[in-house]
Amino acid sequence: MIPKLCYFLKLLVFIILNNLILKLKLNIDGLLVYFPYDYIYPEQYSYMLELKRTLDAKGHGVLEMPSGTGKTISLLSLIVAYQKAYPLEVTKLVYCSRTVPEIEKVVEELRKLMDYYTKQTEAKNDFLALALSSRKNLCIHPEVSALRFGKEVDGKCHSLTASYIRAQHHSNPSQPVCQFYEEFDAVGRQVPIPPGIYNLDDLKDFGRRKGWCPYFLARYAILHANIVVYSYHYLLDPKIADLVSKELAKKSVVVFDEAHNIDNVCIDSMSVNITRRTLDRCQTNVETLQNTISRIKETDAAKLREEYSRLVEGLKEANVARETDMYLSNPVLPDEILQEAVPGSIRTAEHFVGFMKRFLEYLKARLRIHHVVQESAPQFLKDIYEKVCIDRKPLRFCAERLRSLLRTLEIADIADFSAITLISHFATLVSTYSKGFTIIIEPFEDRTPTIANPVLHFSCMDPSIAIKPVFGRFQSVIITSGTLSPLDIYPRILDFRPVTVASFTMTLARTCLCPLIVGRGNDQVAMTSKFETREDFAVIRNYGNLLLEMSAIVPDGIVAFFTSYIYMENIVASWYEQGILENIQRNKLIFIETQDAAETSMALEKYQEACENGRGAILLSVARGKVSEGIDFVHHYGRAVIMFGVPYVYTQSRILKARLEYLRDQFQIRENDFLTFDAMRHAAQCVGRAIRGKTDYGLMIFADKRYARADKRGKLPRWIQEHLTDGSLNLTIDETVQLGKHFLRQMAQPFRQEDQLGLSLLTLEQLQSEDMLQKIAQIAQQA
Amino acid sequence: MFVCVCFRCESCVEMLFVRGSGNCVQCNTPLRKSNFRVQLFEDPAIDKEVEIRKKVLKIYNKREFDFSTLKEYNDYLEQVEDIVFNLTNNIDVERTKQMMEQYQRDNKDIIQRNKAKLTREQEELEELLLQDHQDSEQRRLETLQEEQRHLQAKRINKQALLDELEISKLPAAVLLAQHKDRASQLETQIEKQKQNVKPANIFSTGIMMGQTVSLASVSRVEEVLYVYQLLCIDTYGPPVLELDQLGRLGYLNHVRTASPQDQAGGYTSGLACHRAIQDAFSGLFPS
Repeated sequence: MIPKLCYFLKLLVFIILNNLILKLKLNIDGLLVYFPYDYIYPEQYSYMLELKRTLDAKGHGVLEMPSGTGKTISLLSLIVAYQKAYPLEVTKLVYCSRTVPEIEKVVEELRKLMDYYTKQTEAKNDFLALALSSRKNLCIHPEVSALRFGKEVDGKCHSLTASYIRAQHHSNPSQPVCQFYEEFDAVGRQVPIPPGIYNLDDLKDFGRRKGWCPYFLARYAILHANIVVYSYHYLLDPKIADLVSKELAKKSVVVFDEAHNIDNVCIDSMSVNITRRTLDRCQTNVETLQNTISRIKETDAAKLREEYSRLVEGLKEANVARETDMYLSNPVLPDEILQEAVPGSIRTAEHFVGFMKRFLEYLKARLRIHHVVQESAPQFLKDIYEKVCIDRKPLRFCAERLRSLLRTLEIADIADFSAITLISHFATLVSTYSKGFTIIIEPFEDRTPTIANPVLHFSCMDPSIAIKPVFGRFQSVIITSGTLSPLDIYPRILDFRPVTVASFTMTLARTCLCPLIVGRGNDQVAMTSKFETREDFAVIRNYGNLLLEMSAIVPDGIVAFFTSYIYMENIVASWYEQGILENIQRNKLIFIETQDAAETSMALEKYQEACENGRGAILLSVARGKVSEGIDFVHHYGRAVIMFGVPYVYTQSRILKARLEYLRDQFQIRENDFLTFDAMRHAAQCVGRAIRGKTDYGLMIFADKRYARADKRGKLPRWIQEHLTDGSLNLTIDETVQLGKHFLRQMAQPFRQEDQLGLSLLTLEQLQSEDMLQKIAQIAQQA
Repeated sequence: MFVCVCFRCESCVEMLFVRGSGNCVQCNTPLRKSNFRVQLFEDPAIDKEVEIRKKVLKIYNKREFDFSTLKEYNDYLEQVEDIVFNLTNNIDVERTKQMMEQYQRDNKDIIQRNKAKLTREQEELEELLLQDHQDSEQRRLETLQEEQRHLQAKRINKQALLDELEISKLPAAVLLAQHKDRASQLETQIEKQKQNVKPANIFSTGIMMGQTVSLASVSRVEEVLYVYQLLCIDTYGPPVLELDQLGRLGYLNHVRTASPQDQAGGYTSGLACHRAIQDAFSGLFPS
């Protein structure tokens, strides 16, 4: 009896103790941080230390930490703790991610953290955190949400919620409006949304329960939310940022996660591409406008007169505009917008339409060329004045004037007018910025010189233009990703001064990643995707042999990346002719990524199915493609990644050339440096797909002899570089197979959590030990 | 006043104006063949409008600094736009033409004066273009120089090697000196070229020659001159004695006399006493 009781008592004590040490409370440099997991990685601790320093200094930071080591939760738990401890210093966290699934992931982590908080402090949680996405993802209107494309949803929503529609509804109840928005407008603003964590579905549920529009509710709620999770564009694209993020407080911390492509996002948000089709559609838009104007002139001339007098007075629209009317805002940054009345030459509606017509005809004439033209914005403006007498100033007001006109004419379906809106954005941008942009008119694509397909690229070359207001406005901006190497280039191309720049490695209980550089085939022919030798028979054969050999020794899934779609097509065709493909198929099934999104997701699904059963599969995909960016191959989905060649961007593109020249002149970054940097960040992204955590393992094979050079190797993230030994720099296929076999055999041994504890996984006691703290200090490498 | 803006195809033009001139078949205006232009835009109406616009703008060429307020300028711009609109769409053509002629007569001087001037915006553009051009030229030369320097370094190395090999026959110093001469010559040549790039048509203040600097446009601001008025405070109490009277009337006997340390800073006991009396006297009468 007594021993049994003793046993029970012991068990009870054990359970209680277990519960007590479950989950961590950390002391980060004097700040109490709740961490919702039982164990912590040393690099997470180090990451939080650096982050805390950045916040203390109220500056910007660039932090690189390998994927799968819990960046998101470290960020969230530290910043939330900081917010709780110093509510006056940091009022809001703005977390920017790239895709909707990533946004959802962040919110889930946050939910875990908040649950832990409520459990620990037992106080009522007063934190409000929410995700924001486009209308397409948030709409609950039965008809509108059934539409497939984002643009359609936006247009339809606008046609139900615009202020004049609602006014018409007042006098004429048969005019349809969105009852969810009406309800929200009537009640939702007064009642604050109760504190808690809301992902997109939660918002929709909440909206359905209350009968409120979740989209406008979320947009309204971000003003007083503690944490906002949304996409990059809401901060970086001036057209949207002005509407959504205008009133965010200065004392916010902005985090850009997965930010290795942030410069391209910045550039895209300021660039415009105009094709012949755009112009044709714009032509119809102009005609519609003209007809509507003449109709309105007959029926309701007062409306036009009212708009006219408002423009004469130079009244800003912001005073009269309602949130639902603002469809797209000005494409230039807020501090570049001219604060004065619209010029007289485009004040009346007819004159403006005439103006647009002239502009359009001019663009058409420009697109009718037979050779490539590259010019600067001032050259363009000069030419346009000479040809069609258009001054710079009315051009600058083009976007604003069009917006005002569309509203006055009460055009409900804004989505139809996307072409003319685009043209007006171009007009405003080209006349506002004289530096950092270039205009390139190409009469045909390089690959098809016989088919006329004229395109006018108005391309931003300076990513710092779009991101500058963000750095200027918010006290801390954190740029973080798994691959940000070399760290010093981001501050240079984005033109800001960070207070912390750090790269963290992965502490590992066993070396679970094995980067190998294969430079030669078994016949000693160098393997490279260099332009001169890419058609070389021997190179293609060697690449095929490499894949064949690997398919024989690697269990489950292999992902292979090529440098471009065309290159992949050529190689696969050649493999087929040589019979290599057949041999590979004896070992594994083959799936191929294509440019079609639906086809690719189908291939992915089947690939995963094939990895689950049988001998596994090979996925052939392309660096910079969909697979290389957003899709993780955890565990058996990716046991080996093969990178065929160095994924340089297509260097003959004129836009790229212009950008390189600009980088060289303005930022003293040499062309080659940037190209290598760009290629290596994509290569690192590709091979990083396979390792998504410390229990994961995978081979990383770089199949190009150029990777062995110091300038390429040095640009890989530190957590990969560390495991590249001198012995694995210039291997032949046979040697690779040997090393791979050995590695895979070792890794396949059972691996338990206990093996990690104390080395790469820490409990609180272990964390507090002296020598561990010393070790942690070495993890972060200041660049 | 206007050249006819009717349109026809090239072969018709050839046929109609065999002799180089003739009357327009549609509107009977005398025309020359050389006045016909190739259509630039898809929509012929735009061609016509641009043609008309250019003519109108030749007359209506006032600049922003000819107006005192932005609003006036904007009104003027709208008026111009109206004229162009009327002429292109054949509304009130006669009256509009008359109006233009009237305007032309009235503003002869301004039109003449502004003919040679560009608008400020255009000037800005020109400046930017020039700068771009200079920058690119500068860069080109810099790269050229860089290349030259590389080449030279190579050559020097080669030469040194040769010299060492041949050291017994010829003194290396001579060769080297010659070489140096040549190098410096090249250097100066490039330097000279660089100097040339610097534009000659800029004043030392950085203002371009021929640029319109609006000198007259600073309008006089008429304002009333400031006149000092004695400060007069109603204390709602009996009048306070002047500072110098305090001593004479014996007020100062009742306050602490200032020590030499206090006086070093400019303090006198009269000041404190005066303040105290002001305090005591103010606000005694009901307002």
